[in-house]
Amino acid sequence: MALLFFFIISTLLALSVFSNKNRSINYSAASIYSLLHISLSIYAYLNLNHLDSVYFKFDSLGVILSGLLSIILIPVFWHSRYFLERYIPDRKMKGRFISLIIVLSTALSSIYFADNIVLVWVSLEISTVAITFLVYHERYPNALEAAWKFLFISSFGIVLAFIGILLLSVKVSYADDSSLSYTHLQAVAHLIDPLFMKAAFLLLVTGYSIKMNIFPLYPATVDAKTIAPFPVNALTSTAVLNGGFVAIFRLYCIICGTESAEWANRVLLIIGMTSLVIMSVQLFKVKRFSRMFAYSSMEHMALVIIALSLGKPGLYAAILHIMLHSLAKTGIFLHYGQIRAYYLSGWIPDSGDYMKQNGFSALVYILGLMTATAVPPSGLFVSEYLILRALFSEGYSYIAIAIIVLLSVVMYVIFKYSMQLLYGKLPDNFQKDKAIINKYEPVSQIILFGLVFYLAYFTPDFIKDIMNSIVQNLN
Amino acid sequence: MMIVLLIIFACTLIYFFLSERVEKHINLLAVQGTLLFIIAFINLIEINVLGLILILLETLIVKAIIIPRFLNRIRRTNNLNRLVENYIPFFYSVLIITAIIIASFFTAYSIRNHFVDVKFLAIALSTILGGIYFTIVHKNIFNHIVGILIVENGAFLLSLAVGGEFPFLVSMAVLIDILIAVLIIGIFIDKIGSAFGNMSTSSLNKLKD
Repeated sequence: MALLFFFIISTLLALSVFSNKNRSINYSAASIYSLLHISLSIYAYLNLNHLDSVYFKFDSLGVILSGLLSIILIPVFWHSRYFLERYIPDRKMKGRFISLIIVLSTALSSIYFADNIVLVWVSLEISTVAITFLVYHERYPNALEAAWKFLFISSFGIVLAFIGILLLSVKVSYADDSSLSYTHLQAVAHLIDPLFMKAAFLLLVTGYSIKMNIFPLYPATVDAKTIAPFPVNALTSTAVLNGGFVAIFRLYCIICGTESAEWANRVLLIIGMTSLVIMSVQLFKVKRFSRMFAYSSMEHMALVIIALSLGKPGLYAAILHIMLHSLAKTGIFLHYGQIRAYYLSGWIPDSGDYMKQNGFSALVYILGLMTATAVPPSGLFVSEYLILRALFSEGYSYIAIAIIVLLSVVMYVIFKYSMQLLYGKLPDNFQKDKAIINKYEPVSQIILFGLVFYLAYFTPDFIKDIMNSIVQNLN
Repeated sequence: MMIVLLIIFACTLIYFFLSERVEKHINLLAVQGTLLFIIAFINLIEINVLGLILILLETLIVKAIIIPRFLNRIRRTNNLNRLVENYIPFFYSVLIITAIIIASFFTAYSIRNHFVDVKFLAIALSTILGGIYFTIVHKNIFNHIVGILIVENGAFLLSLAVGGEFPFLVSMAVLIDILIAVLIIGIFIDKIGSAFGNMSTSSLNKLKD
């Protein structure tokens, strides 16, 4: 029942700040929620593989992702303070922002731990609503357009996913509370008609692809991330993607135990490669930092899906990649907030000469850039190396070579845009007197990028054990 | 009786493409909601009281009353009467939806699974594909929400076809979820109408770099 208490307290906290105008109450609620989330993650770890009511289970993947969310929430709340003070003058809206972050994080925690396919679906829909309002938080026409597109396409995806759930429930549902649990579905997977199983898999993966920022429903996610406030992006490009991954992974575990497993692997491989090709082409057209980083997230999620398509051999690398990417992308999006505050714009052509103007922040950006693009000794290089090694060892050499080429293109384009920021000509419209610099802001990013390095090269044993248990539990 | 109801349901699908008036589309959604209630009521013989209340809530109350009233309010606020922009002419759309219904019929009857009721499956497939097609061919975002609702009606029929019965709590969560999503989409349509001056998808193209 621990999760029930967590949901109740989270709801009370979210309600208490929703229309609140008092700044200290808002930040106290954020701090309490952070502590609450850390407590939940610790509790889940201590009760690993235990059920929490009929609907939830503290499994290894849930524990890892919940722990990550607990870590990410601390800098996100911290930087939300800067965002709200700089861009949101209305005090009521500040409370609403914190409240929506709490709602989103709670919905994500529910996705991580849910042992019921319909509950995951419901929680994903709640997260859609929270993200929509967070994207629209600054209330200007472009934000409205982005929020609308995200809401509409997500809702469409969610309806498709629901149809998938219905197909999956043919003759496995007996109106019993545990009948749509993942554990039960895994046990009876062999009884499900292969045609229905395949159709359900396709519909569910399509529906959830918007959350994981992969082909086919990725465009609305990229648009939303282009516009969303930077603390929101730090969550939607990490914890929300992880939520999408959990939803797809749990489904993959079901289909893995059936004769359709090979087919599912091929579908995932096609989705991953298509995503990678599309993002490599689209990246040439970007003019905003947020859009560039959104496509970068798409690249990493494509790699995760490709690794997942290999089954057990790629799963460890996929989980490690998800973990490291979450920390790296949180840092990079929080740094984007600083770039926007300095140049008063998020457009690439509006930036330049960052190294000379704001040297320390520029160094942190370079560190983040290397981390996010997996340049050695970045931790993400380790996970990408493991993914490529798994591809070679499973006989997918041509795919691995294609990935190396595409990743080189991505790296070239991202570095080209970053050179404009770091060493390009300072734009004529730059207003030095209005530029905002806070020397303490990059600290959180240094810690996050350091964590990426540490977790990749000096992975603690307990994390290794949890990751190995995820791999072992796969059929 | 059931066959007659399902045929009437399929006819409402064709009528969606014959009509150009937004009000008619909303009325058709209300008709579909009512038909779904009657179909579910006849089909689920051994249903318990909670299940019956839930179906009553989902079909008659939500699908036939609350959502149509809400959509009518948005229609009046934004002065939406007649559809002017379509990617495909109405005549061709009627032909296409007829082809979709026929193709769904053959597809459903080609599936050999004795747990699935093929007559429901045929109409469910037509409704889902018809709803997706309805969304694609209309440029007006108001009609996109109508398209989603048609797909949801198809999903409801599909649940009858596969005999999947969710636990009460889960069904309640699904129902509330769908209702909230529709209400929020409606609110956003309202905002787009006042911010952009029209509801055409062609005015929503400012995000591309």
